[in-house]
Amino acid sequence: MPIEAVAMLFAWMLVIVFLALIACMFEDLESDTGSQSNPNSQVQLAAQVGQVHRFFNKAISGEAPAYAMYCTTAGVIAYVLLLKGIHPLLAIPIGAAVGEAFHVIFATTAHIGRTAGSKRFEQPLYLDVLYGHLLPIATHGFMAVLCIVSIAYIQSNLGTLSGMSGLNHPFALPMLAFIWGITVGAIGSSTGDIHYGTEREFQDRPFGEGRRVVYHGKITRYAECGIRTQKDIVGFCVKYGGPCTGLTFGLIILFENWRTLVGMKLGGFLPDLQAINGDMAAILGIVIGIVIGIVLIMGNVTLVKWARKRYGPFVGE
Amino acid sequence: MGEEEQKEEEEEKKPKAEFKFPPDETGLGIISAVIAVIIVILPGTWVPAVIKAIGVIFALLWGADSVRKTSKYGLGTGVPSIGVLAMGYGIIGALLGIAFVKFAEPMGPFSSVAALGGVLLMAVVGYISGVFSNHEKIIAMKIPGLERGMMELGMAGSIAMLLQFSIVAGSLSFDKVLSTAIGTGAIALMFVLSMMAMFHPYNACLGPDEKRPRTLVTSVEISGLLCLILGIVLAATATPVWGLGGVVDGVILIAFSGIVWLVFYVKFVKECMRESDSVVGTGLIRTIE
Repeated sequence: MPIEAVAMLFAWMLVIVFLALIACMFEDLESDTGSQSNPNSQVQLAAQVGQVHRFFNKAISGEAPAYAMYCTTAGVIAYVLLLKGIHPLLAIPIGAAVGEAFHVIFATTAHIGRTAGSKRFEQPLYLDVLYGHLLPIATHGFMAVLCIVSIAYIQSNLGTLSGMSGLNHPFALPMLAFIWGITVGAIGSSTGDIHYGTEREFQDRPFGEGRRVVYHGKITRYAECGIRTQKDIVGFCVKYGGPCTGLTFGLIILFENWRTLVGMKLGGFLPDLQAINGDMAAILGIVIGIVIGIVLIMGNVTLVKWARKRYGPFVGE
Repeated sequence: MGEEEQKEEEEEKKPKAEFKFPPDETGLGIISAVIAVIIVILPGTWVPAVIKAIGVIFALLWGADSVRKTSKYGLGTGVPSIGVLAMGYGIIGALLGIAFVKFAEPMGPFSSVAALGGVLLMAVVGYISGVFSNHEKIIAMKIPGLERGMMELGMAGSIAMLLQFSIVAGSLSFDKVLSTAIGTGAIALMFVLSMMAMFHPYNACLGPDEKRPRTLVTSVEISGLLCLILGIVLAATATPVWGLGGVVDGVILIAFSGIVWLVFYVKFVKECMRESDSVVGTGLIRTIE
C-alpha cells in the first residue's frame, strides 16, 4: 500500500475538521437567530414579566435533538438520492435544503405556538419578526447541515476516497448524520454563548455578572440603537462567539482524529491494515490522547488563573 | 412565583377551547391505541403503506397527548426529554417485537400479532419506571399520573416504531427490517421525527394559554412530515413498481402525507393567529405594568 494513501487519509481528516469548524460556527449563529441557545428562557420570561419584545422564540427542544432532526432528514434525502445514482455534489445540497425546509416549518410552529400560548401577557405576534427571521435561520442552518452531511458522506466513504477500502465506516450515512447532528448541536449549545444572561447588557461589570433573574427579560428589549431583535445578537456573536464555537468543535475533531491516525501510523497499522498491529495502534492512540488532554487542562488552568488575576474576583451585585 | 403559577393554572381551566378535539384524554388514547393495534396485527404485506401511516399518526397523536398530560405539572424543560424517553422505549419495544415475530413466523400469516409482545413488555417497563419515579423512597418526583403516562408513552412509542418499520420494510419480518430500515439508517430518522411528533406539539405551544386541540393538530402535522420522508424512502428503496410495498405505494404515501401536512399546518397557523393576543404587521414594544 503506497504512502500516498496515508497522506490522503490525513488530508481527508483535515477536510472533516474544516467542515466541522464551519458547521459549528454557523450552528451557533443560527441558534442565536432563533434564540434557541442565547437568550432562551429569557425570551419566554420577558413577556411574562410584562416586557413585550420583538424576539423570535424558536422553541424546538434543545439544540442537540433539533440538529439531529435536521441533519438526519438531510442525510436520509441525500442517501436516497445517492442510491439513485445522483452525484454527491448535487445530492448533499438537495438533502440539506430539505432539512432546512423542515427546520423552517418547525421554527414557524414553535414561534407562533408559543406566542399564542402567552396570550394573557399581551405579547403580539409581529409578522415582520416572524418572516424576517425565517430566512436567516434557514440560511445559517443550511450551511451547518450541509457541512454535517458532507462530513457524514466523507466518513461513510472514507476508505474509497483515500484508497484504503477497509476504512469505510460501517454505519450508513443517515446514522452518521444523526450522530454528528447531536454532537454539533450539543457543542453549539454549550459553547460560545457570549450573549447569554446579562453578559452583554452589563458588560461594564466584572465578568458581566450580578443581576437578578427578573431583570434578564430586559436583555430582549433594547439594542444600542432602537429595539433589539435577534439579528443584532447574530451581529454581536459573529465576531467571537460563533468562530469560538466552531474552533471548539474543529479542535475536538482534529485532536480526536489526529491522535487516532498518528497512533495507527506509529503502531504500524496504517499502510497495510494488518489486524495484528491493531492493539499497539490503539494503545499509542490512547497515550497520545491522554497527553493532549493533560496539555489542554494545564493550558486552561493557566488561562483561568490569568483571567482571575487580570479582572479581579467575583463580587456579586 | 409558585402561587402565581397555581392561579394561572386555575384560570386556564375556565376558558373553553373554540374548536374541540372530540374525545377526552382517555377516549383519544383508547381510540388511537385500538386503531394502531389493529393495523399492527394485520399482516404487513396485506396493508397499503397509507393505512399504516394512519396508524402511525394515531399512535403518535396518543403519545403527544400523553406527553402533554404528563408534562403539564410544571416539567418546563422536561418536555423534550419525555418525548425522547418515549421513543427510547419505542425502539427497544419495536426491536423486541420484531424479534418475537421472527419466532412466531412459522405459525402462519398472522405472526405479526407477536409484535404486540414487545408493546406489552414496554407497557410493563414504562409502568415500573413510573412507579420508581413517583415512589417516595426512590426518586419521589410525585407527579400525578406519571405511571399511566409512562406506560402510555412506552406503548405508543413501540406501536409507532413497529408501524414505521412495517412501512419501510413492507412487513415485520426481522431480516427484512434489519436490512431495509436499520441497515440504511432510516431508523435514525424514525426515532428523531417520532420523538419530535410527540414532544414538539406541547413544547411549541407551551404557555399558560396552551390549548389541547391546537397542540394535537401540531402532532398530526409533524406525523405528516415523518410519513412524507418514509414515503420517499419506500419509493426509492422498493424493488417492485406496482403492488403493496412497491414504488407506487410509496408515491401514494407521499401524496397522502403531503396533504395531511398541508391541511393541518394551515389549520394550526390559522388557529394560532386567531388565538394570539393580536397579529400585527409590525409595531413598537411596550411595557405592561
